[in-house]
Amino acid sequence: MLSLRSDPKLFELAQRVEYFAQEKFNMTLPEMRFFILDPMEFAALLEKNVYPTSPINIWEGKKIANKKHRIESGQESALYYEVVQTGNPSYAYLNETNSALTQASVMAHVAGHCEFSELNVLHDSDQDRTEYVMHLVRKVDLGRHQMGERRYIDYWNACESALPFIAPNSQYNLENSIDKETTIATSTVASDKAPAADKQPISLIDETLDALLKPGTAKPFVEMEKKRERHEALSRRGYSLRAPCQDILGFLRQYAPTSQAEHAILDYLYTAHMHQDFVIRTQIMNEGWAMYWEKKIMMELFAEDSVRGAIDYAKVFSGVCYPRPYYQRNPYHLGYHMWLHIEELYREGKMSLDYHEETDLDTKQEWEKPEEKIDPQACMRHLVKSITDYEFLRRFLTTELVERFHLNRLDQRTAQQLGIKNEDIIKADRRWVWLRPEPIKNEMLGFFAHFYRPRIYIIDTDYLDGGLLLMHRDDGRSLRADWIRPTLNNLNRIWKAPVYLLSQDKLYATRADGYKESTVKGVTFEAVAERLSKQQQPFKI
Amino acid sequence: MDVDRISSDESEGFFNDFIDEQLNDLVEDIINEGDLDRGDASGSDLIVEVDDIEPPTLVYGDQGGGSSGQGGGEPGDQKGKLKFEVPFERFMELVANKLQLPNLQKEGQGKIKEVSYHFKTFGPVGVLLDKKRTFKRALRSSISTGVYCPAEGRFNVEVRRKDRRYKVPQRVETPKFKAVVFYMGDISYSTFGERLELEKRLLNFTHHWLDFNYGKNNVEHRFFVHDIEAYEVTPEQFYQVSNIGGTRASLVFDLVSNIAFNEYDPATTNFYGFYVGDGELFGNDAKEIVEIIKERLHPMFNRLALVEIQPSRMSCLNTEVSKAFGTDRVVRTCALKNKGEIIKTIQRMFEARHA
Repeated sequence: MLSLRSDPKLFELAQRVEYFAQEKFNMTLPEMRFFILDPMEFAALLEKNVYPTSPINIWEGKKIANKKHRIESGQESALYYEVVQTGNPSYAYLNETNSALTQASVMAHVAGHCEFSELNVLHDSDQDRTEYVMHLVRKVDLGRHQMGERRYIDYWNACESALPFIAPNSQYNLENSIDKETTIATSTVASDKAPAADKQPISLIDETLDALLKPGTAKPFVEMEKKRERHEALSRRGYSLRAPCQDILGFLRQYAPTSQAEHAILDYLYTAHMHQDFVIRTQIMNEGWAMYWEKKIMMELFAEDSVRGAIDYAKVFSGVCYPRPYYQRNPYHLGYHMWLHIEELYREGKMSLDYHEETDLDTKQEWEKPEEKIDPQACMRHLVKSITDYEFLRRFLTTELVERFHLNRLDQRTAQQLGIKNEDIIKADRRWVWLRPEPIKNEMLGFFAHFYRPRIYIIDTDYLDGGLLLMHRDDGRSLRADWIRPTLNNLNRIWKAPVYLLSQDKLYATRADGYKESTVKGVTFEAVAERLSKQQQPFKI
Repeated sequence: MDVDRISSDESEGFFNDFIDEQLNDLVEDIINEGDLDRGDASGSDLIVEVDDIEPPTLVYGDQGGGSSGQGGGEPGDQKGKLKFEVPFERFMELVANKLQLPNLQKEGQGKIKEVSYHFKTFGPVGVLLDKKRTFKRALRSSISTGVYCPAEGRFNVEVRRKDRRYKVPQRVETPKFKAVVFYMGDISYSTFGERLELEKRLLNFTHHWLDFNYGKNNVEHRFFVHDIEAYEVTPEQFYQVSNIGGTRASLVFDLVSNIAFNEYDPATTNFYGFYVGDGELFGNDAKEIVEIIKERLHPMFNRLALVEIQPSRMSCLNTEVSKAFGTDRVVRTCALKNKGEIIKTIQRMFEARHA
């Protein structure tokens, strides 16, 4: 691993990129540190979640052994372009085998990512992130010696089972689901129902009499009893569940009984993986933003002759931005073209009430009334600051754009494999098939509800005396049966008390007396959420 | 950031250790099952499959697949497989470790040499010019003589005769070990079905084991069969020819001893002999065998093993041979009744025994 300063030409190029990004385009950038890696270092870095160090673990070993084999046997190219770990400072890694032109485009691309992470509403740019993770790695290494090899491996493997259940940006994250003893959360999970009626004015009549006069209202002692129970739970455990919690690993990290060494493992795994949630929720905007600024900066570099090879760059750029069908979601292509479209909307004054209320189609099509006060890029930055991919697509992706970006285009073979029905096809030629564009947007938005993963929530932390009750939110699909038991065993190892999983009409349990499966009466997620909000027991057999 | 190099070597080593454990378990299975003839006779690398490992988690039942779970650090038991190419030598090493087989004693050291030439030294005369060294010397002398002086714009490098450096070959001799293995089979008994299977497994392993110890190219394998006559056959014919009728095993021992004595130099060759049959001999046959072994084979051979495959009450070969040789260093007698005894038989055939 070499510092960028070891290559004076690249160092100069990086300075030009930063100059254009900050001075010419007013980008908000953290400090960016570039390093040069050889291809195998690059491969290792990717397996370490883009941190330079990681604790020893078998899964990383398996992936790197597999990757080395694939690279050596020519099944995979070792030519990675760019990897960046945002934060302040941000660490970006360049592949030593790339040409100066590619390195320049990578640095410009990185600038786009860094700004996006700084500005975005989810703000994925914390202070000294890489340094903090490296500190956690040292703590885990220390913990490994304290735990002993066997226990370390077992605990790490157990934690791996909970890795997919990190959701710091979910509607049901820790902040919205847990009341703590010290800070009772003020924010609440948005309810679909109408807000509750305002509180009754203080009655001058005695409470008992009031209860007799209005039998529908809850009895005061019941309310008091609930309040007392809640306070007791808080003072006993330090927290209570007020809504289903989707951030399961986050919860375990904070509330599972752990030794220092175990806590270090949980801490590392959560911190190193939590940013993937940001990536998955903003990938289209983020990659599009990076491509947008990459191109702008590269045009400036070409203009001043800092780099040469505009044609080669154009080829690479169009290769990266090659359209893919909607379910493959090429975020570079979709994001870049969406941002261009939005820029055009602002530039031509199409983001105005007049434009939307215009009924004449010809006028609308030829609309070009730029508003002088509006700076398209400032408006785009405002969007970055306020929304994520879901809203981005919901607001701006239209049926026309679905067709223009070829999101509804599949090759003939894939269409046959997927068994696409004729009524869903609007046209076809020898190579391609075009689907009806109308349902595509909803399909794409559906991804953000589940990310193609089952939705699992903690719904009770004291189920049957200290058990952790998880719930699989039913979406008509069953869980992989042979993995339920080992997963629950692993969670049991972390929670150190019984763990239950409610999935459809089955209750799976891992307890001291073994593993059990039983059939129960199913309950809906909405009902569970409702009961939790009323501080009732969410599920009873 | 105080990191010189980003690498996953430690984790990779950790994974490789796990694979080694899996391989050891696999070898144990193979040994317990008696499947020691895995891999073909060419001694090529083996493709082995071990259970894939993947951390189990809650996923949809209809997605992914192809992998099995690992609960609590234990490997899974179905579906996914990790494929590995294990070099033949490595596999045999693992088998040898598990069976606790000693390395075969190689004799003839110092008599047969394998000669090769290494270019490790350099001199002023020779055929192969070392351009790099020559240029270095020429540059040094050009600087000292002032022919090369960049400050004054002179960039010539003069190569004089004494600057030339040649690669000088150095003769390297490494001892070469040579072995010949005689497989002797009785085709007069009913060698089919389970008997034939046992015979094949035993001799296949013997074949691999000797190849592994001496190197594939240094071992000659020769096959002989007998009924009332003894003759040499090809390896393929060894398991195919059969006869029903009388038997005289001493003929094959006699033939082998003649060939060993006449065709090989006892001073430079390691001799191994393996006899397989039902051990049912008649008349003085067994005694004649004992005589041949004692007088002609024992002084020459490194190891001579006689294995009675599924012996009957009539089998007498081992009894006679054991009476004469007991716990001899060279001669071994074994009985192989079923698949489960293959390991024990191999251990007995190859175990070290000090006279």
